[in-house]
Amino acid sequence: MTPSAQWPPIAPGRRRFDPLGLASRVAAATLAMSAAALLGLLAWRLWDFGLGAAPQALGGGWRAIGGAAAGTAWLVALTGVLALPAGIGTAIYLEEYARPKTRAASALQAALANLCGVPSVVYGVAGLTFLVHGLSLDRTLLTGALVLAALALPPVVASSTEAIRAVPGGLRTAAVGLGATRWQVVRHHVLPAAAPCIATAAGAALTRAAGAAAPLLVVGAASMATFAPPSPAAPLISLPTQAFGWAARPQSEFAARAAGAGLALLAVLLGIHLATVLLRRRLAQGPVASARSLPGARAPAGATPGDANANSPRDARDSFPGP
Amino acid sequence: MNASLSPDARILAQQAPALSCHRLSVRFGARQALSEVSLDVPENRIVSVIGQTGCGKTSLLRAFNRTNETIPGARTSGAARCRGVDLYGRGVDPVEVRRRIGMVFQQATPFPKSVFDNVAFGPRVGGFKGDLHELCEEALAAAGLWEDVAGDLDAPALALSAEQQQQLCIARTLAVKPDVLLMDEPTASLDPAATARIESLVHALKSAYAIVVATHDLQQAARLSDMTAFLEEGELVEYSTTATMFTNPLTRRAEEYVTGRAK
Repeated sequence: MTPSAQWPPIAPGRRRFDPLGLASRVAAATLAMSAAALLGLLAWRLWDFGLGAAPQALGGGWRAIGGAAAGTAWLVALTGVLALPAGIGTAIYLEEYARPKTRAASALQAALANLCGVPSVVYGVAGLTFLVHGLSLDRTLLTGALVLAALALPPVVASSTEAIRAVPGGLRTAAVGLGATRWQVVRHHVLPAAAPCIATAAGAALTRAAGAAAPLLVVGAASMATFAPPSPAAPLISLPTQAFGWAARPQSEFAARAAGAGLALLAVLLGIHLATVLLRRRLAQGPVASARSLPGARAPAGATPGDANANSPRDARDSFPGP
Repeated sequence: MNASLSPDARILAQQAPALSCHRLSVRFGARQALSEVSLDVPENRIVSVIGQTGCGKTSLLRAFNRTNETIPGARTSGAARCRGVDLYGRGVDPVEVRRRIGMVFQQATPFPKSVFDNVAFGPRVGGFKGDLHELCEEALAAAGLWEDVAGDLDAPALALSAEQQQQLCIARTLAVKPDVLLMDEPTASLDPAATARIESLVHALKSAYAIVVATHDLQQAARLSDMTAFLEEGELVEYSTTATMFTNPLTRRAEEYVTGRAK
């Protein structure tokens, strides 16, 4: 049998059918159309709900929306301050220091992974029990931020852990071989490499915290923001709780206010998302992203520049018994 | 010493060793990677460590600069010395050991930073106070890379060719000013021309350092080294001058290996 008898003839221009490629295109197109339909429906409902008469319909609601937006800003900032250092620090400990992994570290990681799936209202109940009733804290923005930080912490830890785990082990080994301490390896190589993914995780967690209404309502958020909160000790108020408070009222004028608060919340979430994208892009920039040829460089010898085969994430997971 | 040692190797090894180990064993969990290996590395000599994959070459090199300790479950026993200093002695800082015993790894792994930052990393974390640019130039020149990168030290290291990346990793190691150089298959991913240039570089470095090279390439070991150690299943079978190892090995197992008849 000659080789040509085994192979189909080569047809110019013939394209091989790729079922996975087709399926992925269909899925992406469906998702895009669904998102567009949802946004359109939301806009129509908001308009129909009374926003079409704005700004007159909102009337005195503008001040309340501004106050609630300021409350949300306080909550997001405080949640970030409370949850991000703790979450990223915990992830660094679990991936870089707790090796070989102790039972306590494994238990902590499992608990945090399970907490990712706990409904937000449960955090509200826990906050009401421990913070308000147990520690007798007032229902302030700080109390709300503590609850939201607890809500944001598990996903931040989980995502940051994955980001740190994905850093090539070869980088750690090379840095250790040059006499870097464990902290220097983390500071100079692991964190910069993982930073874009960690920023994405942080943005997602803060977005979830900013949009959470249930835990704050359970803790006891104020139903009407009459002024912009000047400090974390101000009464707990946020855009989601404000929108919920207005939407629950039967009078028609509050429908427009609820829609306005909803739009303001969407703007805040979009702002967080944009800030995350910009931060991630900035963190991802540097020599890796802007790789360019060197003048006078010899031709690549057999391998693509930058093709560091040793950079398997699983390569040489480091646990330093040193100082 | 449990391995066969030829008379000429004995003479060489009697010079004050830059690096030595005595009954050095390494375990990774239940697996014995290295069994009571004893050998001396003289000053200004190149010692090749040869043997099949998994015979313990890398474990031996990593035991010398204590990077095995970064692997969970690794256990090291026995003694290792660098210019008389017990590397595993009480109070010896493993970070300092790694600075004094430089290691070049099998795969070039430049940091995703500029060429300059790659070379300057070791001195920086080691608290170097002098002129970093001067040190960087010195190290890059010693590694034969200065002419290629002098015009753009801020260029990303990952844009270099594979050979240049390995040269950069050597320069990075030299910048820490180590006492001894360990090289774990430094040309494994390079083409023959690049391999020849790196070998020339290693030869040139011999005047300043004792060098231990782990390699799969028997021809490279024959070309490069003054002495050769043959490891099999974690045991040092023979430690001879390279001439003896490749022309008249003392042991049957070494003979079978260097003649390509090993099972």
